[in-house]
Formats: sequence, structure tokens, C-alpha cells
Amino acid sequence: MKTPILAFTLSMIMCLGARAELKWEQTQIELHPAPNDKQAIGHFKYENTGSTPVHFKSVHASCGCTTAQTQKDIVPPGDKGEITATFNIGDRTGTQVKTVTVETDESPNQKTVLTLKAEIPQQLEVTPNFVFWKQGDKADTKTINVKAGKDFTVKHIKVTSSTADFQTKVEEAGSGQFKVDVKPQDTNKITASMLTIQPDDSQKVFYVTARITNGPMIPVAPIAPTAPARPSAPTGQTH
Amino acid sequence: MKFVLVRQAAILAALALLPAAGQAIYFHDKISWRSAIAPSEMVTVEQARGWGDTAIWVDARPDDEFASDHVPGAISLNEDRWNELLPQFLAVWAPGKKIVVYCSSLSCNASREVARRLRKEAQLPEVFVLEGGWEAWLKKNR
Repeated sequence: MKTPILAFTLSMIMCLGARAELKWEQTQIELHPAPNDKQAIGHFKYENTGSTPVHFKSVHASCGCTTAQTQKDIVPPGDKGEITATFNIGDRTGTQVKTVTVETDESPNQKTVLTLKAEIPQQLEVTPNFVFWKQGDKADTKTINVKAGKDFTVKHIKVTSSTADFQTKVEEAGSGQFKVDVKPQDTNKITASMLTIQPDDSQKVFYVTARITNGPMIPVAPIAPTAPARPSAPTGQTH
Repeated sequence: MKFVLVRQAAILAALALLPAAGQAIYFHDKISWRSAIAPSEMVTVEQARGWGDTAIWVDARPDDEFASDHVPGAISLNEDRWNELLPQFLAVWAPGKKIVVYCSSLSCNASREVARRLRKEAQLPEVFVLEGGWEAWLKKNR
């Protein structure tokens, strides 16, 4: 009666023994880019420990913000190399997890998922980044909470409005926290303004939109922050 | 005989549990690359189309894909240029509007992230993610 169990266990061991010849040094990399970094790059190193060459059939990133490059298409036995995954940070914040799926010819549908985890530092957390009043509403003050991000020290912030239609007042709440009061001059006038929040000793600017709306379908020309042109994202990937 | 079969089944089940337990321990602190989203925050193409003019369509795909083609009337809002594009979106948003965010396909994550940021950072209500994304919209409209 023990024979079937033994056979099962042996088959499991044999299956494990016949696994991929491409050995990865690591399949998960955690990166901590600096505040102004545009990219986070991970190097996934491998070695062909088998006796036959390994062919890369496809290398596919999980999003258009990530590209992956192989150094070679065929890895001879004993050879080493790496796949370079480049994550374009853009305006992303917080924890970002991107994957690269690598398919080889080691066995049918042999796929390895490489994971790139990046912690994007955020100097300030601004919530909400949009305040609005309906036309004719009482011109109440609305408050925006501003908080220094983890590992950042912010003693003062400067807030400016792109138009005179909204007044702002900053109150320091201590421990890197601030309250920004926003008050419209007149809620009868349809208008929008871009508020810029800038920490002391920093070039980084954070944006808040303040707007008087009059209900659906009457757009107000935005006052968008300027940004440098970015290269197009790579094609052929899932976004 | 019956007892032996039951015992064998139990042993096999226990063997199968070993790698499962190992995986649970190894991956317990790993984050899934897809953002979690409640079913109530998803919307089908038919439902979203039924909302008519009360819906704003938001394209979370990269600029080049938006430029290539998009849902008629959709506004581009992706995380590559979030700070620049968000004010443009907020300029056309109005109270009472439903927001339908889409990316390329069922497996993409960009629409979930954009929807999450609209809810959390801009604190907008009624933000939905389109099931199946642009691919699903194409199937129903082309």
C-alpha cells in the first residue's frame, strides 16, 4: 500500500529535479529611488546551470511604464547574464509593483515572473488636491491637509494661487503637518485656480485645483502646471 | 480497504498542503501587482453606456495609445503625467457626474490606480473601473 505513495513522492522529486535550467539570483527586487529620480532600474541576474542552451521566447512587462531588456536571446550552458527592467516613475507615488514575465524554451510554457517593487518617496501628502464650490454656494472655507512624507522634514510651506479668486491661509499644525484654508472671493463667478504648495528648501511643487462649478457640462479652462515633454511609452504592452 | 484509501487520501492531501503552506509563508508580505477593487466599483460597457451624458470617460492608458484611438469624448488621465493632466480633467468634472476609468484590457492595472487616486487624492465620488477596458469597449462598439 505504500507503493503508490512512494511512487507519487518520487515523481514529485523527479519533477523538481527536472526544473528550469536557468537559475535566477533573485526574482524579486525592491528599489528605493531618490525623490527626483525619473527611473527605477532592477537587474535580474541569471545563470544557465543546465547542459543545453536556453532560448528566451518572450519578455513581457506588466505595464507600459516598464521596459525589459535581455542581453542575449540564447544563453549557452554555464553562461550568465541579466534582464534589465526599467520602471519609468512618471508622476506615480507610493508603493509600485511591476512585473516582467519571461518565457523560455526550457519546458513547455516555462514562465518566470520577475517582480520589481519600488517605493516612490513623496515629500508631501496633500489631501484633497481638489476643492470646489457650487455656484451660489456660501463661500465657506475649505481645508486642505498637508503632511510631510515619511523620512522628510518640512518646517514651512508656501502656498500661492494662480488667480486672486481664492484666498489661502497656512496654519502650521506641528510635526510636519499643515492646514491650508481656501476661501473663494465670490461663488457667483465660475472660475478655477491652481494653488501651488512648495515646501521650504525644495524645488518640488504640489498642486491643488480650486474651482467654482455651475453643475454639469460647463468646462472651465484649466490652468495646468507645465511639464517637460515625455517620450512615448513603449508599445506592445498591457497598460 | 476503505480505511487504507482514506488514509492514503489524507496523506496525499497533507503532502499537497506542504507547498501551499510554504507559499503562504513566503508570499504573505508580498504585494499583488493588481490593486484590489470592490465589485461595486466595477462597471460593464453596457452599464456605463447606459449612463449617457452623466458619465465622464477617463482613459488611463499612455499618451500614444490615447492618441491612436479612444472612447469618443474620453479625457486622457494617466500616471505618467498625472500632475499635468489632473487639472484638465477636473476642469470638465461636475457634481453628479459618474467617472468611468478604463485601460487597455482585463489584465491591466492603470485604470484601478487612476480610480484609486481620484477617490483618495481628489476625493471624488462615483468613480468606476470599466470591466475589460478598451478591448471590451471595442468589442461592443466596432
